[in-house]
Amino acid sequence: MAITIFAIMIILLLLGFPIMIPLIMGAFVGFFMVFGGFGQMETMVQQMMAGIRPASLIAVPMFIFAADIMTRGQSADRLIDMVMKFVGHVKGGLAVSTAAACTMFGAVSGSTQATVVAIGSPLRPRMLQAGYKDSFVLALIINASDIAFLIPPSIGMIIYGVVSNTSIAELFIAGVGPGLLILLLFSIYSVIYAIRNNVPTEPKATWGERLRAVQRALWPLGFPAIIVGGIYGGIFSPTEAAAVCVLYALILEFAIFRSLDLKGVYDTAKSTGLITAVVFILVAAGAAFSWVISFAQIPQQMLTAVGISDIGPIGVLFVISIAFFVGCMFVDPIVVILILVPIFTPVVDSVGLDPVLVGTIITLQVAIGSATPPFGCDIFTAIAVFKRPYAEVIKGTPPFIVILLGVSMMLIFFPQIALFLRDLAFAD
Amino acid sequence: MSPADPEDQPRPAATDPDVTGGEGSALPGVLGMIDIAIARTEAVMLAAGVLLMALNTISNVIGRFVFQSSLFFSEELNRILIVLITFAGISYAARHGRHIRMSAIYDALPAPARKILMVAISIITAILMFALCYYSVSYIVTLASRGRVLPSLQIPVWVIYLWVPVGFFMTGAQYALTAVKNLLDKDIYLSTSVLEGYDDTETEI
Amino acid sequence: DTWRYAFEEALEEVQGKFAQKFKAEVEANSDHTIQLFPYGTLGESADIMEQAQAGILQFVDQSPGFTGSLIPEAQVFFVPYLLPGDTEQLNSFFRNSVALNEMFPELYAAQGLELLTMFPEGEVAMTTKKPVHSPEDLDEVKFRVMTNPLLVESYKAFGATPTPLPWGEVYGALQTNIIQGQENPTSFIESTKLYEVTDVIIYAGHNNFTTALMANKDFYDALPEADQQVIENATDAAFEYILAYQKDLESVALEAIKKAKPEMEVIVLTEEERAPFKAAAGTVEETFIEMTGDSGKKILEQMKADLAAAAE
Ligand code: NA
Ligand code: NA
Repeated sequence: MAITIFAIMIILLLLGFPIMIPLIMGAFVGFFMVFGGFGQMETMVQQMMAGIRPASLIAVPMFIFAADIMTRGQSADRLIDMVMKFVGHVKGGLAVSTAAACTMFGAVSGSTQATVVAIGSPLRPRMLQAGYKDSFVLALIINASDIAFLIPPSIGMIIYGVVSNTSIAELFIAGVGPGLLILLLFSIYSVIYAIRNNVPTEPKATWGERLRAVQRALWPLGFPAIIVGGIYGGIFSPTEAAAVCVLYALILEFAIFRSLDLKGVYDTAKSTGLITAVVFILVAAGAAFSWVISFAQIPQQMLTAVGISDIGPIGVLFVISIAFFVGCMFVDPIVVILILVPIFTPVVDSVGLDPVLVGTIITLQVAIGSATPPFGCDIFTAIAVFKRPYAEVIKGTPPFIVILLGVSMMLIFFPQIALFLRDLAFAD
Repeated sequence: MSPADPEDQPRPAATDPDVTGGEGSALPGVLGMIDIAIARTEAVMLAAGVLLMALNTISNVIGRFVFQSSLFFSEELNRILIVLITFAGISYAARHGRHIRMSAIYDALPAPARKILMVAISIITAILMFALCYYSVSYIVTLASRGRVLPSLQIPVWVIYLWVPVGFFMTGAQYALTAVKNLLDKDIYLSTSVLEGYDDTETEI
Repeated sequence: DTWRYAFEEALEEVQGKFAQKFKAEVEANSDHTIQLFPYGTLGESADIMEQAQAGILQFVDQSPGFTGSLIPEAQVFFVPYLLPGDTEQLNSFFRNSVALNEMFPELYAAQGLELLTMFPEGEVAMTTKKPVHSPEDLDEVKFRVMTNPLLVESYKAFGATPTPLPWGEVYGALQTNIIQGQENPTSFIESTKLYEVTDVIIYAGHNNFTTALMANKDFYDALPEADQQVIENATDAAFEYILAYQKDLESVALEAIKKAKPEMEVIVLTEEERAPFKAAAGTVEETFIEMTGDSGKKILEQMKADLAAAAE
């Protein structure tokens, strides 16, 4: 059954159907096969509605809205101008800044999709202007945004913690090391890319120019200040921060910079709604598809077939990595965690693995899966927001995936990358 | 992509007909006028949905932090708005050929094959949308018979899904019309109003 | 046959333990097999309820508080200080209550559900960042509650600022101090690690979290009597098992919390300290009757009679 469904989905995808159709058809065929007819299609509709129910989803339209206002107005330009005055003369400086910005924004917002939009929208045009190829830019934005999964707050880690009865505080700390390691490796790759492709640099700015750029960026610097201050100051949640950014962006562009009129606000809102709909219908269809996979107990069947009892701790970590990596290629990451973690927990206990390490590795696979074809929320978001073809959006991803898989390996053989900080913080 | 990409230029928001609100229709006469009215309604719902969501969420933050009192319906209202935006948006996106697809293989085919494939894609998509319209109506009827309510707003849950079958139906209709248009016209259409090749021209919506 | 059973918690939490025992009993005494679907694997609480009503799931565990959006009278379990703190009394009440064993099944039947049993999940504890001994101590404390009118009313009456928040954001919100308090059974506080981000655990005896196992009614009614008997026996066995399991659960969970976080302060309110909280609870009862009318009033009165009987 699983093979049939996956085959249908891949064929429809390749033929050029709107991506919602492979997902809807996958769910549709799944429901038909599981229930032997069309009798339970109401539940498919129910699960589509369930897919777009989570309160945290509103961060996506809100950050799209805020980022679009900033980009159409002056805030984004002023912020990036400032960054460029400091790093523009360094080979790959802009790419490294983009990766770092994605990591930081993802860390506080907790949403990878929001990061793709909020950091990608303003920075992508600049990187293109600076001479980076679009395939590299898109892949960098998508993959760097997924570091957000590893750095707290991380909803994936919270769910893993609850399902596997593992300390969430320890998981949060354990994610920081691998997250920063990935950022470092992405940065190194970016510099190598810039050198090999001979991306031109700007002349080094004087301190006077830098000071002027900082002054111009003072108002827009309120964005990071508000997000970080508001969330860590306990004023609003990461989700709500998105809406507060909308308010601040409107105040800046509408009242202070006067670069946006009422019509502009309306048009931006409309365009935000459109992009949101295009992404959320995929989230909805994906949820219905995930449900039927879960209901038919397909992951359990596949894993029973593999057999994971006598392969030792390293073997178990490999099987877990592969299972989550493959699962997240097709199915919503949260559902994958909910289904697979209870299956693996007894095995993890029996071979004596540290559940915090396992949680970190799982979170990493989830991050990789979200950026990996064929189905990935962050890929879809990038296509919808940047209006580039699917093939171009995923073209540049292989080097990043190689790096991420490399980090997975390193975590398996050198768990201290994750556990070092945890042991330091939780030493008795 | 070269540095001269149109994305790089300052984008005057009001040069695109989509953005100025001038909705076109592929249909003749009264049908066309109805079509345009629907398109405008969808556009207004999209914008209003997003603006209300921002207003609602910010109000909740201000209420909680400044006035020590949360808006209990805030989360439920956002849920309603997400449904509204998604289902007003999918037909609007279908109308403007904005649903994302993977077109690498499609693009490599010769024109006659592309035309046949586009007709097939449009028809199959339309059928699935009409089927989902049917099943969402039947889901709503079932929900209504059970009488579950939203805990804070205390309104029946089925009410918030009323727009869902409408959205599916309008989307199905758009794809059905696209199939018809491709059969009647010699060009290849991605949607009723968009010729293929949008990937290269980056129309802004 | 293969029967499907979904519940609102993880496999190793109370509902999951109950489900595992139920599964073991059914499988030992019949040819049927049971597939368990823990929290989130088939959707949220409302989703699995609808799936059980549609007959896709044969069994579903849902707490009456959530069922309140479908069966308003079920919210009676949110009325504070209704259920006794004493375990023996409570267990006797769950075994013998007319309201639970006769009146509620009718209400559930009207929704296409066979109510198999209701069972307790443990006393609801509050966790906060500062010690609480009186309603005054809850002043300006933003307290996360589920978006249920009665819970909101309760915590207003207790002097707190009830704050709705999606479950997924509770941990983070406690960490960043958006909210300063939440309530849950001790075992749940332990398993969800909420103690990591609060400092005090308070027992005010205001409620005991209750949950219920249901079957799809058409499915159940169509079963041969022998199978119905298997289900009934399995339910009874799981019920007794969970009461015994619970006896130590709270203390074990509390020990686990103290071991993981020795500086966690535990406060058990004295009878005197509980008095002002109890006094505040009266308004919640009124709200409940306002919301549910005569039917709710009848259930409430019957429950009080049952509780009086259990206290003897
Ligand atoms: Na994060
Ligand atoms: Na993926």
